[in-house]
Amino acid sequence: MTWVLAVAVMIGSSPASAELLIRITEGADSAIPVAVVPFSESGAMPSGDKISSIVQDDLTMTGEFRPLPAEKMLSLPAKGDDVYFRDWRMLGQRYVLVGQLTRRGDKVEARYELFDVNREQRIMGATASSSVNSTRSLAHHISDRVYEAITGVPGAFSTKLAYVTLERSGDEPLYRLQVSDVDGKRARVRLESDEPILSPAWSPDARKLAYVSFETGKPAIYIHELSTGNRTRVADYRGLNSAPAWSDDGRSLLVTLSKDGNAEIYKLDIESGSLKRLTNHWSIDTEPMWDHTGDGFYFTSDRSGGPQIYHKASEDAEPRRITFGSRYNARPRPDNDGKYVYYVHQRDKSFHIARTNLKTEEETVLTRTDSDESPSVAPNGRMLIYATKQGGNSVLTVIAADGGAAYSLPASKGDVREPAWSPIVR
Amino acid sequence: MRGHERDVISTGQPPWKSPVALSILMHGLVLGVALAGWSWSVPKDDPQPPSISARLVTQNEPEPSPVTEPVDQPDRDEERRQEEQEKQRQEEAERQKAEEEERARQEARRIKQEKEREQERQRQEEEARRKQEQQRQAEEEAARQKAEAEAKERERQKAEEEKRRQEEAARKAAEEKRRAEEQRKQEEAERKAREERERLEAERKRKERERRLQEQQLEALADEAQQQRESDERKRREAAAAKAREAQMLSESQKYQALIRERLSQAWYPPSSATEEMTARLQITLLPTGELASVKLVSSSGNTAFDNSALGAVKSLNRYPIPDDRDTFESYFRQFTIEFNPRRLR
Repeated sequence: MTWVLAVAVMIGSSPASAELLIRITEGADSAIPVAVVPFSESGAMPSGDKISSIVQDDLTMTGEFRPLPAEKMLSLPAKGDDVYFRDWRMLGQRYVLVGQLTRRGDKVEARYELFDVNREQRIMGATASSSVNSTRSLAHHISDRVYEAITGVPGAFSTKLAYVTLERSGDEPLYRLQVSDVDGKRARVRLESDEPILSPAWSPDARKLAYVSFETGKPAIYIHELSTGNRTRVADYRGLNSAPAWSDDGRSLLVTLSKDGNAEIYKLDIESGSLKRLTNHWSIDTEPMWDHTGDGFYFTSDRSGGPQIYHKASEDAEPRRITFGSRYNARPRPDNDGKYVYYVHQRDKSFHIARTNLKTEEETVLTRTDSDESPSVAPNGRMLIYATKQGGNSVLTVIAADGGAAYSLPASKGDVREPAWSPIVR
Repeated sequence: MRGHERDVISTGQPPWKSPVALSILMHGLVLGVALAGWSWSVPKDDPQPPSISARLVTQNEPEPSPVTEPVDQPDRDEERRQEEQEKQRQEEAERQKAEEEERARQEARRIKQEKEREQERQRQEEEARRKQEQQRQAEEEAARQKAEAEAKERERQKAEEEKRRQEEAARKAAEEKRRAEEQRKQEEAERKAREERERLEAERKRKERERRLQEQQLEALADEAQQQRESDERKRREAAAAKAREAQMLSESQKYQALIRERLSQAWYPPSSATEEMTARLQITLLPTGELASVKLVSSSGNTAFDNSALGAVKSLNRYPIPDDRDTFESYFRQFTIEFNPRRLR
């Protein structure tokens, strides 16, 4: 009987009773198919880009979405009742965004709903409105909400970009500090100078920009209040004054000064103008940036011979070298959650944007372009903007933070450099 | 009675021969003795013992005996011898005077005896006649008696017969009774024997029944054991077959697991917020057509977008690649769990 029992046990323990488990460890390489159905309109709408088109472009820019062209849609529902999941499913779509725009006086109101085609659920429904003149803001707002609803990450479509353009009329260069939407639209010039303007940096509240201007013939650091246009020169020491970076509380800047004979990093209290030297090395230490904790900072130093990325966990800690992959790694830009640090990386005489996983210390080159410079990470960490050369001109390109699809901003005349992505202001 | 008859038969030889021979012998002997010692005088007239004949007669009483003739012949011999003896006695008269007297007396006695003998003879004749008469009578009597006896005999025989018959009857009755008794006994015995037989038979039958029952039980047990063995064997074979089948199903299932994994990987868009630490588990139930019957989030990643991306991926497949084999399907793909856990994010 023993072996009968054994048989029973064997049968009992057959895999049939143990439920099958399939592990999915990799996702699709392609972007998420999403259908942004042109919003229905009731009342007079401003001319220009349609809100749904802007949303579609926003989603596309991230590299995470692959919107369905409107002409391929089988129907154009404007509200949930008209959404037939089967149709969208047949089209291979994962999400469907529908909406209705209504003109109410000088405002445009949007009612929009986002549907998960496979789950056949409405995952979001909201209304928003804006003035007739700022429907782009309304569109970016909707993009942000959609993006967050799908990805769980706040959208960064309503943030701003600051950058510097250079135009040459004859031998006269014209530098312009400009601020635009993330898609490059609605760009506004905040400062014009025939001297170089460098390193714009957003205050934490996105109301001010700090930057380096050579307008006096030598570099000095200014704080520029955008709403009023008021400017303050906060650092104008002998020698080099460069690379301002805001602290989280907006009260101080990390700056690079060579007032003591060598480029060193200082903490500048904005209000009092007091300085605290944070590095002390015979080599160049520059391009500081606070890490996500606000206690430590990254910077570039050539103390090892060439420029490399270092990190100080606190103001008084010993610097720790981060990059080793090549002889040139500079301009560190950490993300907001301490996972990656992005930087300019030279390889085979080309300059790329690369990132290092701070946990695994794995370095990844993100760009396929060369002559890449000035990386800036979107506040949600999902996108990266940098300057690169295109047809002899310098342009701005947005890529997914993991190196996915690139989205080139519409080029204006001349070179575009020194992009800075604004923080998200809630 | 038969002995008697036999005796009669044995006297068939002349009965008188024997006494005659004896008498001759006796006379010769006396003569011899007289010649040898005393010349011829002394043994004279040796009185013959009448008793012989008498005895003979008496001995042969029932026979009609011719006694006279033998008696006559010795008488003549006697006279001759007496003459001789007279001469001898004259020669010796003296000496035997006493004896003469004696002789005289003897003579006298002899005469007397003669007379007596005559008388005797006459008496004997009378007697013989009487005897004859008697004999006749006796014979008659005998005949009568015989008849009577015969009658008696018959009677007796009859009685005897009767008695015998009665005895026989009695015997028969007894016999009958005995037989009856015997029969009864026999019957009793037979009955007892029968009863015993029946009892034995019953016992035997009971034992047979019990034996049969036991056999049946044993057979049942044997059958059961056999069935058990067969069942065990069947189970073992089934288990072996199931094992082989399982192996086949397993390899089959692994093929389809890989297909499902591939399809789901292509269909899964991990959201931007996904991290390697996130894991969502979904239990899905399929229809035999491969269509999704139901899906349940059994373990959340803690991130809604991540969970939704997994749910969306699972639901995006119109048909799951499943094996044609129904058993494999039922064993592995009717219900299973899918775990979404990005090993490496872009």
